[in-house]
Amino acid sequence: MSYKPDQQAWMDFLYGELAGAEKERMENYLSTNAEARQEFENFKQLRSMLGSVKDKEVIAPPIFVGDSKQRFFWNTPYVKTIVSIAASLLLIMVAGKLLDIRISSGGNEFKISFGAPAVTQPVQVTPASTLTAEQVQEMIQSSLSDNNLAMQASWKESQQKLDASIKNNLAQNSGMIDQLVKQASSASQQQISQYVSGLQEENLKLVKDYFSLTSNQQKDYIENLLVDFAKYLQQQRNDDLQIVQTRMNSLEQNTKEFKQETEQILTSIITSVGTTPSKETKY
Amino acid sequence: MAETLLDIAMMHSDTLIVRAKQGDQGAQGKLVQLWYKRIYNFCYKFFLDHDMAMEASQKTFISMCRSLSSLQDNARFKSWLYKIAVNYCREEARKKKGSRSLSFDVVWNQDAEDSPQWEQSSRRYDSPERQYQQTELSDLLQEALLELNEEQREVVIMKEYEGLKFREIAEVLNISENTVKSRMYYGLDGLKKILERRNITKDTIDYEL
Repeated sequence: MSYKPDQQAWMDFLYGELAGAEKERMENYLSTNAEARQEFENFKQLRSMLGSVKDKEVIAPPIFVGDSKQRFFWNTPYVKTIVSIAASLLLIMVAGKLLDIRISSGGNEFKISFGAPAVTQPVQVTPASTLTAEQVQEMIQSSLSDNNLAMQASWKESQQKLDASIKNNLAQNSGMIDQLVKQASSASQQQISQYVSGLQEENLKLVKDYFSLTSNQQKDYIENLLVDFAKYLQQQRNDDLQIVQTRMNSLEQNTKEFKQETEQILTSIITSVGTTPSKETKY
Repeated sequence: MAETLLDIAMMHSDTLIVRAKQGDQGAQGKLVQLWYKRIYNFCYKFFLDHDMAMEASQKTFISMCRSLSSLQDNARFKSWLYKIAVNYCREEARKKKGSRSLSFDVVWNQDAEDSPQWEQSSRRYDSPERQYQQTELSDLLQEALLELNEEQREVVIMKEYEGLKFREIAEVLNISENTVKSRMYYGLDGLKKILERRNITKDTIDYEL
């Protein structure tokens, strides 16, 4: 019973990597020791919990590995560069050989030539045996003069032609221009007369309208004035008549009153005259 | 089913390895196809970061293709491949520690962004809720894994998720088998404590699920 498993035994047992007598001893130990059993249970629970973590799905990306073959001496970049330069130089040299290129310089010139440079022979002037310098000169002179003459003739001809054509053109043009001007002037005269007559008619119409309008207005005004004046006169006469009437009336009244007064006076006189003797008599 | 087939293919890839060693690029490509998912998932659990995992796994396979000819024993291909992967993971981790820039994943509010795991199209037959809880638990566990130190984490991932034997892990890490086991023991113990601290136990998970 003195067996006490170490950490290694625990792990082996937990992961089933313990076998034989060790495994038996461990199982016995667990069956007798409740604490150890509890610990084992705890470990198992932990394992089952850890087991719930699932793997993440992932897609393997394509992995390209550059060729890792052994690089030989002639496969290194330096050698490659040098060899390629040498090869291109060789190519140029072979091409030069095949095309037979020659490059030379000297005497202020640089020459690239294909094949042997052509040797330019100095031109040797061999004097003509039949013609002398004077003869040649004469020939040149004569041909020049001939040429001059021919040229002059052709110039003159062409000048004449040009003059004629210019004159023709001018004449035609002036005729056309005259026609055009005439047409233009006639057209303008007609147009002006039309315009002027139009203007006159318009003016006439305007003036007529104006006068008719103004005469109507004046007539109205004068009529109105006359009517007003007549009314005024009428009124005046009426007033005068009324005044005369009233005067007449008052005069009439006055005369009436006077008449009555005189009558009264007369009657009083009469009565007084008739009564006075009686009165005296009564006395 | 697909995974078991893949596993069988992995186990019997001797002829592929022989051909790949002779420089057959088709065979190399097939090896990459065969092992990429495993190596990627190992790296992903190591970093919990897709980009870094991709980087490390691509480097691993490039290195594999280059130096396959130097592999002596074909039977040790698996541990040899994981050795390369572990080395690249450590290198990437060193680089990350050295760089002062923050990864976008750190700045990015991942909880808010991908809580409804739209893109996770596997396990489509599960109910969305269950799937969500599953991924959440998976995230929690992987975060806990990330809290372990590097040595323990390597061992736990290789043992628990990659199914390597302790002998193979010892070969990969070039240490004794006993050291591997004790790292595994402390790793599991550490995980248990971390999960307890976060109040994640089998009971709470069962209750939630």
